[in-house]
Amino acid sequence: MSATEPALLSLTAVAKAIAEKRVSSREATQSCLDRIAQWQPRLNAFMAIEVEAALAAAHAADAALAKGNHRGALRGVPLAHKDMYYDAGKVVTCGSKIRRDFVATTTSTALQRLKDAGAIRLGSLQMAEFAYGPTGHNAHYGPVHNPWGIDHITGGSSSGSGSAVAARLTFAALGSDTGGSIRMPAHFCGVTGLKTTYGRISRAGAMPLSQSLDTVGPLARSAEDCALLLGLMAGADPQDPTAVAGLVPDYMAAVREEIKGLTIGVPNAFYVDDLDPAVARVLDETVAVLKREGVDIVQVELPDQRQLTAACQLVLAVEAAAFHKRWLIERPQDYGSQEHARLQNGLAIPGVTYLEAMRWRGPALSAHLAAVADVDAVIAPVAPVAAPTIAESDVGNSPDAESVIQRLTRFTRPINYLGLPSLSIPAGFTRGGLPVGMQLIGRSFDEAMLLRIGAAFQRATDFHEKLPKFA
Amino acid sequence: MTRPTAKEIKAIADVAGVPVSPEVATRIANSIGPAFEGFAPIAGTLPFDLEPATFVLVQATRAGK
Repeated sequence: MSATEPALLSLTAVAKAIAEKRVSSREATQSCLDRIAQWQPRLNAFMAIEVEAALAAAHAADAALAKGNHRGALRGVPLAHKDMYYDAGKVVTCGSKIRRDFVATTTSTALQRLKDAGAIRLGSLQMAEFAYGPTGHNAHYGPVHNPWGIDHITGGSSSGSGSAVAARLTFAALGSDTGGSIRMPAHFCGVTGLKTTYGRISRAGAMPLSQSLDTVGPLARSAEDCALLLGLMAGADPQDPTAVAGLVPDYMAAVREEIKGLTIGVPNAFYVDDLDPAVARVLDETVAVLKREGVDIVQVELPDQRQLTAACQLVLAVEAAAFHKRWLIERPQDYGSQEHARLQNGLAIPGVTYLEAMRWRGPALSAHLAAVADVDAVIAPVAPVAAPTIAESDVGNSPDAESVIQRLTRFTRPINYLGLPSLSIPAGFTRGGLPVGMQLIGRSFDEAMLLRIGAAFQRATDFHEKLPKFA
Repeated sequence: MTRPTAKEIKAIADVAGVPVSPEVATRIANSIGPAFEGFAPIAGTLPFDLEPATFVLVQATRAGK
């Protein structure tokens, strides 16, 4: 491994280096491809690797730059994304057997906006089947492995995104977060992941799981990288009526702001209950760093988060089952056992119960915003534990499966139900060397504040720059 | 909220057009039971502020510190 290996640069650094012709797109792309060739056999992070097409696109980007075409903040930067973003003419498996040969006829808005900025495609990334699983297991394509501990899970459902970004196989990756699917892999794999506010980024052309909860967002190597990607993707879209209109903030300006004088809340319950000692220690250490940076830390009392978790589970189960009903009837044998079992769960929830869970969202968000009125953000663990092993979390459709899943996702689901933004940042390690992340939770559409705090934390620490030990 | 029984789940799944066996209904009851028990819906008499789209209005409120 060379210190000058382009793949080891951050997204913002490589984009700048290519624009300034200090690194060519071809060199950056080849560097990622070399690492993919080396680590894919152990990580299983990629669904498809498109060597020739990526190099051809890189060559074209270099040629355009040579002619003076510098348009696009990602000109010539190679990226790969969770295999659920439609890309016209490309197979999009959604991590499933059912869509193994599905060729998209449209391109998702989020992906198109990154292409418009000049990004080129390395291939596509592994994921949980239909994005419905928090561990990184996949019955059809095998589990994705964690670069920090090859026998440990990556978290899911954006499993390949977490693994590939951590191993420096791609500079960043799109994920999606319906119940924790960006923050969990970010936490388990030691990368930065941004779950955006519901409505911040268009979901047009992204595989749906739950229309009330789905959000699009990036996993990257730093808060600054997430800011760059968010600024490119956010904003209204006529193809997705839930994508909000209005001015998109300057997120890159936000990450340069200091955090002295801000106030961050630490929940006095739920998020601090039953933590693994390593996670509790990292939370304390994170708070200490923020204090040193001049942040006021206060305790906050949040409304009952167990209610939010339960409501999220009810909404997600019903909406996922509704999306999948036709295939549940026609192709039940083509699902993995866990996904099939969980989709069946949604069929058993009465309509009245679903509506009761949906109509409580407004009052619940109101109560949350009132509880955090005096703070700029809340900090909490992403999960109560670091990455379990693949073997111990392979629960399939066993009677314990749902309780294992609920334990892993209990700190992420309340945020999805409230539609709030949350930034997962690498914040420390267990004694065994597994990453531990913390999530900054903000107000609706206030990603800028989270990125500002995250970037300041990353200027004060180097957890986000650590390379997995095998690399 | 009271969790549904396996018998009730079997009936609901049948109506949904995706029938399940009694064994599967029992598994489902155990899986989703905690969600029912953990969620207490707001009692109301058709109040408008419980219209689901209220969420979007609350979300759009720029409640600053």
